Amino acid sequence: MSRIVSRPAIIRALLKKELKAYSRDKVYLFLTLLVLIAIPLTYKFMPSKVNETITLAVSPSVSSMVEDAKDSLKAMGATDAQLAELDNADLSQEQEGLLLIEFDNEEDMQSVVEGKLEAWRAEDGALILRDPETDQDKPPNAEKLGLDIGIAFPKDFISNVAAGKSGVAVTVYSDANVPEEIQGAMTSFVREAAYQLAGKQLPVTMADDASIVLGTDRAGDQVSLKDKLRPMLIFMVLLMETFSMASLVSTEVLQRTVTAVLVTPAKTSDFLIAKTIFGTAMSMGQGLFVLLLVGGLTAGNWSLVLATLLMGSMMFTGIALFVGSSGKDFMGQLFYSMLFMIPLLIPSFSVLFPGTAASWVRVIPTYPIIDTLVGAFNYSMTWSDAAGSLAYAAVWVVALFGAGLFTLKRKVKSL
Amino acid sequence: MTVPAINVEGLRFSYGDLEAVKGISFDVQPGEILGFLGPNGAGKSTTIKMLTGQITPKGGKAQVLGIDISADDADLQAQIGVCFEEKNLYLNMSAKENLDFYASLFGIKEPETMEILRRVGLAERAKDRVHTFSKGMRQRMMISRAFVNKPKVLFLDEPTDGLDPVTSASIRKTIREEADRGAAVLLTTHDMFEADELSDRIAFLNDGEIVAIDTAENLKLKYGTRSVKVRLRDGAGVREEHIELASDGSSARLAELAASPDLLTIHTEEATLEKIFIELTGRGLAG
Repeated sequence: MSRIVSRPAIIRALLKKELKAYSRDKVYLFLTLLVLIAIPLTYKFMPSKVNETITLAVSPSVSSMVEDAKDSLKAMGATDAQLAELDNADLSQEQEGLLLIEFDNEEDMQSVVEGKLEAWRAEDGALILRDPETDQDKPPNAEKLGLDIGIAFPKDFISNVAAGKSGVAVTVYSDANVPEEIQGAMTSFVREAAYQLAGKQLPVTMADDASIVLGTDRAGDQVSLKDKLRPMLIFMVLLMETFSMASLVSTEVLQRTVTAVLVTPAKTSDFLIAKTIFGTAMSMGQGLFVLLLVGGLTAGNWSLVLATLLMGSMMFTGIALFVGSSGKDFMGQLFYSMLFMIPLLIPSFSVLFPGTAASWVRVIPTYPIIDTLVGAFNYSMTWSDAAGSLAYAAVWVVALFGAGLFTLKRKVKSL
Repeated sequence: MTVPAINVEGLRFSYGDLEAVKGISFDVQPGEILGFLGPNGAGKSTTIKMLTGQITPKGGKAQVLGIDISADDADLQAQIGVCFEEKNLYLNMSAKENLDFYASLFGIKEPETMEILRRVGLAERAKDRVHTFSKGMRQRMMISRAFVNKPKVLFLDEPTDGLDPVTSASIRKTIREEADRGAAVLLTTHDMFEADELSDRIAFLNDGEIVAIDTAENLKLKYGTRSVKVRLRDGAGVREEHIELASDGSSARLAELAASPDLLTIHTEEATLEKIFIELTGRGLAG
């Protein structure tokens, strides 16, 4: 019974079989469902707003410091107009991102920064302190304040500063988790506050146009953690799909079902084409599905995002072909998976801290993919902006995909 | 003269420095079953791998259905059926799905899957996934898969290895039916009983070489000794006498014993294929 079978018909039959094998395997199904459910859920519960205001605790209150200093300042020759100006001094610059929470008592402030007490702000602005260990009820209609830094000024801070005394001691309390650079910034703030309270002008002034934001000024419109994570989540989909695909390939190789396929009119090239189409389609399909659930596709970026997603899918399919045909057993496959996946995952973390990727991270094959996704999702990147990254990614796609196909072909021939 | 379904001349293959097949020659006619009998490592499976296009020969020539095996011709692949030694089935697919899939690779739009499964006694398990099958059932699946395209040439690598006698007999019956249909069958086995019962001709393969090839009958006549064992009553006991049929006076002696009142039984003692193999190669079939 000899008949000519077309290549597309053979590839179609192989694809149908791949889909059947995929849908029948509980591990693949679990991984797929995990990705398609867990990732959009993770996204849903991520914070969608960025708090650009730094909240700072001070003790004692500025008004009480001013009140206490008035007599001394008058004695030093301050005029009524100067004292009135001092009354109007406002260290709090909430609209500029700084909110001062004033404590009458330094010990209370220290306890709040240390986490022993909670600070809540009522609707009328009144500060409410709560001991979480003894107070059962939370204050009604109040907002909990996150205070990690507190500054304790000495009672006669203003008068001493105004008198030009040196060695005026100010204590900065900070939670252990506060980065060193923020603590440094607070020290600068204290110095500036001292100058201002002493009625002096800082030697350096910043004109409004002296601080130039290059690119789009995101002040007041920062990318939320939720949106920053979007490219990373898509990337996780591709990674998980790689595991599934590698497993599918290795099963075929280890159980030698491929040898049975290759004694039929199907050729090695048909087998490789079918694996390629199936792997890329599964990655791309799942990536797209998650992308639609978490948003990100816009009228302006859809073509760039889809092209980048396709390149990412092909890159990971190539890796899956390599991993699946390299491992001699499950442990071997796991070893090769880890060997590739861990380094390839690194660039996806760089999205959390834009601009921080070290030069060696930029060399990793997945970097241009993730970089383009970040740009397209969050920073209105265009095709021309992405041309360099895409060209670099294309080189890696060709290299990794070629390596995957070559390894699988060799493995199949050696069976 | 009939064109042989398989024609092999001086075929050779080596794994690195190890020469696995050393220039073998043979042919198989349509409807004929040629049994490749030899121990593990004799080169049986390597020969099948070459003839089915899984590996490329390092020397010699071979044609299957008149097509050179090195041509990598899809038309040739469409006309052969292969049963592998390892049971490489898709375990997560049902028996029917497995056969339907392979049928689709041959471009068969309406495969006779159920009929094939019925022939191997698996029709009732058609919808069950193969991972639920016993070893014998999987082996029957392997055989049925080789039949899916009604091949003109069947390559069967140890088709009954490790199976119980009932399953083995059932598989042998099916193979004979395929040969009767006109398929040429190349069968490898190290089971001399199977080779004897099933093969029209037998090739003894040892260390990559064919040391003898003929019908089982001719091999026995050519290499075996024919004798008769006669058991006679001897007082309270029993005595045995062996008579070599080719020796002088054997007929007269046999007639004399047959007429004896003490005669109990007469047994023909035919040389077994294993004995002949050992005689020819100096080694057994088990190793």
